Amino acid sequence: MKTIKGVKISPGIVIGPTFFFKRDQFPIPGTWIQMSDADAEIARFQQAILKAAAELTQVRKLVLEHLDEDHAKMIDGQLMILSDPELISLVSQYVRKDNRNVVWAFFEVMSSYEKILQETDGYQKDRAVDLRDIKRRVIYHLSVDDAYLTPNLKEPAIYVTDRISPSDLIHIKDQGALGIISQIGGVDSHVGILARAFRLPYISHITNIEEVLACPEIVLDADNEEIVLNLSDENRKIYDERARQHELLNQKLLSAKLVSSSRDGVPFRVLLNIGFVQELKTIRPQSVQGIGLFRTEFLSIERNAIPNEEEQFIAYRDTLQAMKGRPVTFRTFDFGRDKLMAMLDLEVMHRDIAFEEWGGIRFCLDNPEILQTQLRAFLRASIYGPARLMLPMVTRIEDVLEVKKMIEIIKRNLKKEGIKFRDRFPLGVMIETKLALDILEPLAGMVDFFSVGTNDLALYLIGVKRDEDLAKNYYHPIIFQSIHKIVQAADRFSLPVTICGEMASDPFALIGLVALGIRSVSVNYSAFHAVSDEIRNIRILETLTLKKQLLQEENAVMLYQLLREFYKNQMCAIPRK
Amino acid sequence: MKKEDVTIMNRHGLHTRPATTLVKNAAGFKSEINLVYKGIRVNAKSILGLLVLAIEPGAKVTIEANGPDEREAVELLVALAKNKFDME
Repeated sequence: MKTIKGVKISPGIVIGPTFFFKRDQFPIPGTWIQMSDADAEIARFQQAILKAAAELTQVRKLVLEHLDEDHAKMIDGQLMILSDPELISLVSQYVRKDNRNVVWAFFEVMSSYEKILQETDGYQKDRAVDLRDIKRRVIYHLSVDDAYLTPNLKEPAIYVTDRISPSDLIHIKDQGALGIISQIGGVDSHVGILARAFRLPYISHITNIEEVLACPEIVLDADNEEIVLNLSDENRKIYDERARQHELLNQKLLSAKLVSSSRDGVPFRVLLNIGFVQELKTIRPQSVQGIGLFRTEFLSIERNAIPNEEEQFIAYRDTLQAMKGRPVTFRTFDFGRDKLMAMLDLEVMHRDIAFEEWGGIRFCLDNPEILQTQLRAFLRASIYGPARLMLPMVTRIEDVLEVKKMIEIIKRNLKKEGIKFRDRFPLGVMIETKLALDILEPLAGMVDFFSVGTNDLALYLIGVKRDEDLAKNYYHPIIFQSIHKIVQAADRFSLPVTICGEMASDPFALIGLVALGIRSVSVNYSAFHAVSDEIRNIRILETLTLKKQLLQEENAVMLYQLLREFYKNQMCAIPRK
Repeated sequence: MKKEDVTIMNRHGLHTRPATTLVKNAAGFKSEINLVYKGIRVNAKSILGLLVLAIEPGAKVTIEANGPDEREAVELLVALAKNKFDME
């Protein structure tokens, strides 16, 4: 049997034919237009150029405000290409004289420039990436629908590509993709998160794609990080059975029941973290008590730009409607470096360390037009269900005051315009910085709920980087002590506290959180069923005896052992699947 | 028509940043302005045109202008080039 090794991004195993799509090779419609349509085609091109330029201008402004003129100038080159007189005149010629459709004309012109640049030896060679970025952005706006840009699977198949975007993934999932193989792509990428949410097996870092494509049928065995190219008859049975088990598990997950209390009847909420409206298709809303964290910045990643008010409104409304009366907590844009990178999708910036410090509510307050647009979209959508608003990375009282003031102004405007919105909705903050820990009581007096972002909290308290293994830090005593402090402050104001973050997905850490009085967690879909199972089996009242010991423990290893022992004793009577 | 030769002295030749400065300044004139390099003539108001020439450091180019403000245009653009387009 011939196998190729790769890197597992999303678990599972599947057998099937392959489908190849190269992302930057747009399928360009080679259709001719009527002479009389030339003016309309060129007008369409000018509109697309304007839209692309507006997006880039916004990006430039952000870069200038948060970095410096030098970095902003990287975008000037792209903006200038958009207004290049030769480009516009060449495209117009292709349309008027050759009667090509404008997407085709633009693509041809850009590709010829790109080709010449790539053939040069000079420093200009690197600028081919600018041309590719521009090409992608303009064609996006030229396309009547996404059909030009997105793959089209005709039958269920394993999707093979150079790289895959979040919107591609959503698209192929809808078309019945069985799994994904790509050349580039990381475990922590947003595509990775999505693939795991959709339970699509996914292997990346496969370099010899041609070999994979040459086979009429392959096994994508993400669990073992390999692709089997020529399945032998004696092995087929084994693989068929494993693929069937994977499929069965998927179906079992889909029919999971709602958890609303622990084994001893203490009410408990297991909520879901999502980033894309489409993720809701993978769950039954009646099996979830609500969305504890909607990562709105993912909408930007999908679009490679900050979505406008209407796009946001539709996403928020659709989510609320899909959840059928269950609460949805929308977190305002939280742009970290990684998310910004994904959004800009500018190859030129990818290796620049200057984008380190963007994020949280401060970013939005520093760019009020972005936050205003988001708040307007949120308020408009809020009439479609129990919407809640959450502010990330709060560090100062003023952060909350400024947002509240902004909300009041937007409400007044909406009222003037006769647009409906929900007047009262829960407003909460994420406690995930050291500074927030110092102002817990004043914050509690101003908001309706707390959420603890344990990933960032661990980062701030212990100083570990995000890409390092956080698992070993959940058991640091300082984390539990801080969460205890948060719960106490919240209790004094009768505020609910939800834990959002990887920590809640860890079975032993979860016991500790429950012992400290946490009665609500929000987790990614991949952990949702395991956490629900654990809560269903836990006897919460017994954890009260654990609390004192937990808070006295000063050693992370001892703390880990304490939690593990307790977990074992509680769970030993219960048969685990 | 007015024209003048000038040497590109930027360390990496006429790459995006100096080319951007050149285009920005050329666009301010009414005259038609071209840049000639190795016998190839491109519109100096076109960033794409300038980039594909891949003008190397130390290369000699000709700036030509034709129109009502041709003299000022050539003077300014040559001065810019001599000044490494305000970079470095």
